[in-house]
Amino acid sequence: MISWQTFFMAFFGIAAIVFGAAVFVTSSMMRSALALLFSQTALGAMFLAMQAEFLGVLQIMMMATEMSIMAIFMVMFMMDPGGLGDMDMSHQKRLSILAGVAAAVFSAVIAIAAHWPAGPETLSEVASAGAQVRALGVELLGRSMLIFETAGVTILTAMIAATAVAIPPLQRSKAHES
Amino acid sequence: MSLLVVVLFLLSAAYLVAVLEDRLTNGRWRWLGPAWAGVALLGRESTLPRKPDRLFFETAPLLLLVAAVLAAAVLPLAPGLVIADLATGALFVNAALAYVLVALLMAGWGPDGAYALVGGWRFLGQVVAYSMLIVMPITAVAMRAESLLTTDIVVSQEALWNLVYQPLGFVLFFIASLAVCFLPPFDLPTAPGELAGGVAAEYSGARLAVWRLARLVLVVALAAATTVFYLGGWLGPLLPPWLWSVVKILAVSAAMLLGGHYLPRIREAQLLAWCWKLGIPLALLNIFVVGVLVLIWT
Repeated sequence: MISWQTFFMAFFGIAAIVFGAAVFVTSSMMRSALALLFSQTALGAMFLAMQAEFLGVLQIMMMATEMSIMAIFMVMFMMDPGGLGDMDMSHQKRLSILAGVAAAVFSAVIAIAAHWPAGPETLSEVASAGAQVRALGVELLGRSMLIFETAGVTILTAMIAATAVAIPPLQRSKAHES
Repeated sequence: MSLLVVVLFLLSAAYLVAVLEDRLTNGRWRWLGPAWAGVALLGRESTLPRKPDRLFFETAPLLLLVAAVLAAAVLPLAPGLVIADLATGALFVNAALAYVLVALLMAGWGPDGAYALVGGWRFLGQVVAYSMLIVMPITAVAMRAESLLTTDIVVSQEALWNLVYQPLGFVLFFIASLAVCFLPPFDLPTAPGELAGGVAAEYSGARLAVWRLARLVLVVALAAATTVFYLGGWLGPLLPPWLWSVVKILAVSAAMLLGGHYLPRIREAQLLAWCWKLGIPLALLNIFVVGVLVLIWT
């Protein structure tokens, strides 16, 4: 008898794989981007099933906006965003299939061979969702503060730099003259 | 039980919001108006545009409805009257509202029509503008409650509502929630008179009925969020708690509809400029002020 937790883990795990495969099967950029979104949402749901509530909700929230913004870039930069012109996005098919199968087999072997802690006592060992949020907050503002602040400021700098680079030089020189 | 009560409440509140919306457009109180309109929509043919992305076209109205209901699911109407009292409730509201964007993008791309497409992408820009003004005020609210539990947030306002404690956050959140529901003056994705309905332009019949219902439930969900975060949720004298929630949510919904009714539609570029250049600095100031108040008062 499998528990509900195992059932939902399997369900959302399979959903994540199916949506992940759909990313490459479809030729529509929009479908591809949103398939990736729902694959990531399924991962978030797996976190929820694993009682990592904060992580799950955060994953589900962040991906919606991120993947939607990715979608507009894919539509802007691909020559056939609707996928109506029989465009083929894939290449190096044999190598990709081999790499994919090898990675899947490797993960499956690890999953089966690993020594998972068994029994119901592991469930109660998981901290409550509220305690997890608290622990995460203490971690973020304690030991890991420097790491996260550095990463945050670096990303911000990169974004500002990217925007500055993206402004056409023509406009910049005009603004300079006036 | 809670599930049934909350869903029934959402539906009846959505109906009242529809009556008010009808009053604002037609100038008359027609209490049966939305019911007749709903029956008429269900009876009409639901046409399919030529060469649609069928999957997106069909999913979009349902996803909008699901997102709105999920957002409402973590907001309490009374002590114990909440579908799911999550430890990450305040964050979950954001997560559910993020899928409003996905639904609108699907509705924009799905029908393969120019107006819908423009409307869908416009909403993406709108989200880039308003999303920080949803998240940052909620952060300040959670700071005061020292919890992400929505019930804790209500209890934290027992002495003083957040409306008074952090008025700046309230104003920003209220404006941003108008933008989430794409209500005027932020009705850029639908833009009647300019985009001819935009994302909703190609929907008709039963699909349009679901779309309109989802939009109304979304308005109620955002009003409920405003009530829980800023107006003390169920707190109030004399009346039973649930009634206070209902009164406040309906009042906020009415304010949301009336507030934008008399304003001209804002342009996308203006919205982005105002939100980023003024809104985000103000939201940061709000977090700072609340932080200082929390340190001094407790």
